[in-house]
Amino acid sequence: MTPPWAAALWRLVPRVPAQIGGGLALLSFIIWALTGAGSPWFLWTWLAVWLALALVVAWRWSRLAPPGPRRSVETLGAFAVVLSINAIFNWAIGGAGYFWPIWVILGFGIAFSVYLVYLRNRGADLRSRGERELTERVETLTETRRGALDVQAAELRRIERDLHDGAQARLVALSMQLGRAEEGLADRPEIAALVRQARVEATAANAELRDLARGIAPPVLTDRGLAAAVEALGSRAPVPVTVDAQIGRRPAPVIESAAYFVVAESLTNVAKHAPNSRAGVTIRLDRDELDVVVADDGPGGADAAAGSGLDGLRRRVAALDGDLSISSPRGEGTRIEVKLPCGS
Amino acid sequence: MRVVIAEDQLLLREGLIALLREHEVEVVAQAEDGEGLLRIVGAHKPDLAIVDVRLPPTFTDEGIRAAVEARHRHPDLGVLILSQYVEPVYTAELLAGGEGGVGYLLKERVGDIPAFLDAVRRVAAGGTALDREVVAELVGERRGVEEGPLDSLSPREREVLSLMAEGRTNNAIAEALVVTPGAVEKHVSNIFGKLNLPAAADDHRRVLAVLAFLRATDAA
Repeated sequence: MTPPWAAALWRLVPRVPAQIGGGLALLSFIIWALTGAGSPWFLWTWLAVWLALALVVAWRWSRLAPPGPRRSVETLGAFAVVLSINAIFNWAIGGAGYFWPIWVILGFGIAFSVYLVYLRNRGADLRSRGERELTERVETLTETRRGALDVQAAELRRIERDLHDGAQARLVALSMQLGRAEEGLADRPEIAALVRQARVEATAANAELRDLARGIAPPVLTDRGLAAAVEALGSRAPVPVTVDAQIGRRPAPVIESAAYFVVAESLTNVAKHAPNSRAGVTIRLDRDELDVVVADDGPGGADAAAGSGLDGLRRRVAALDGDLSISSPRGEGTRIEVKLPCGS
Repeated sequence: MRVVIAEDQLLLREGLIALLREHEVEVVAQAEDGEGLLRIVGAHKPDLAIVDVRLPPTFTDEGIRAAVEARHRHPDLGVLILSQYVEPVYTAELLAGGEGGVGYLLKERVGDIPAFLDAVRRVAAGGTALDREVVAELVGERRGVEEGPLDSLSPREREVLSLMAEGRTNNAIAEALVVTPGAVEKHVSNIFGKLNLPAAADDHRRVLAVLAFLRATDAA
């Protein structure tokens, strides 16, 4: 298999001059052989042919780069490589004594480096158009992804509000009316029992909606922010939880939600896998990063790959360009740390 | 008994007013937001304010903030919070100030009319009515590393403790557990003994003592 760069170079070799050069090289070799095969002067012909072709290839190669600083760098680089290799060949044919080509190579190397530094200082953009477009595309995607997530977070809060003001309110009104109907049926106990059953069902439906709403956008998170919501999670957890949250300002809703669900899921895992341990939640917000740590003193040995809950969290965090790390050495507890960028 | 209501949803407000009027509870004024609540409480000096947590203009915890403020201005006012969700942090804020009664119930409890009216009367009279979900979170099983004082309670005592934290009287607890009031009294004195709580004169102080204890264990 030819490497792609070799194939690309081969395509740059001019066909006719290459055939003529090849012919000349062969001819000089034959003449040399017929004239008694003395000192190998034919190598100088080969060298000349190689150099001519290599310079053409170098020139064509540098023309592939887009005009501008990038092309000048590639031109200089290509000629430096060709002339350095030429110097080595020259040295080899000329008897391979003192390795003088080192000065040629060093000279080109220094010139090349100085030129690069000079370009950098001028703030020249060495990226190709493709690279530039790709970078711009990545920037656009990052921005729109974040936008989409922000919209999603706002949407979820709207759904929670709609549930609260819509279906849940109607179910409450229904319970209330059923309760009043039940009272009016004191003389028909069997029907009153049916009505009571209906009210119990309505209450159960409302409870399910409440759990759903809490899973979508916990009201206390919306109302009071991350610290209060995490305190509430801590007091709900079946294991003792110490919460230390220092959050000066409120991060974007999407960041708050992600951090909240990280803590919720982690505490659920602690309760499930380390029911006899204590857990600590630490949250710090600095200028551009929210740092969340949930640690327990349980048995450790948590398998990051096994828990699909953790996997979901990891994806959620990754979508925000955050980072989730788990350390769970056996016998030393489990520590989950999440870093979420939230530049203001 | 004179009651004011702060609820922005017409359907629920009207339903609540109809229900209370059917049971000879006088609804003297109604409001749709926190500002309105403070205004009608100031104007009518009611025994009880029934308040929704989520009110305009913020639609967050406006009702809690207004209720805390109303209790601050009128320490005798009883406040009964109705909400679609329970948050212990809001209960704690409410309990922190004022002398009057405090209640925090899920809205759907209104459907159980006798229990709801009982809660309304209790809070108006200076008592407590906490939703069993709030209490459950406070009393809930805590499998701590070392034994907590709650672990020394028998299952029956734990039940009694929960009902006490909800704000029920001994008689109501006896009814709920189908035992004699005397048996409840015995459980109560056992609980106070085991938890090392001072015996309290009235039901409300008793609830406060129990809640303070539960919150303290919670924080530890």
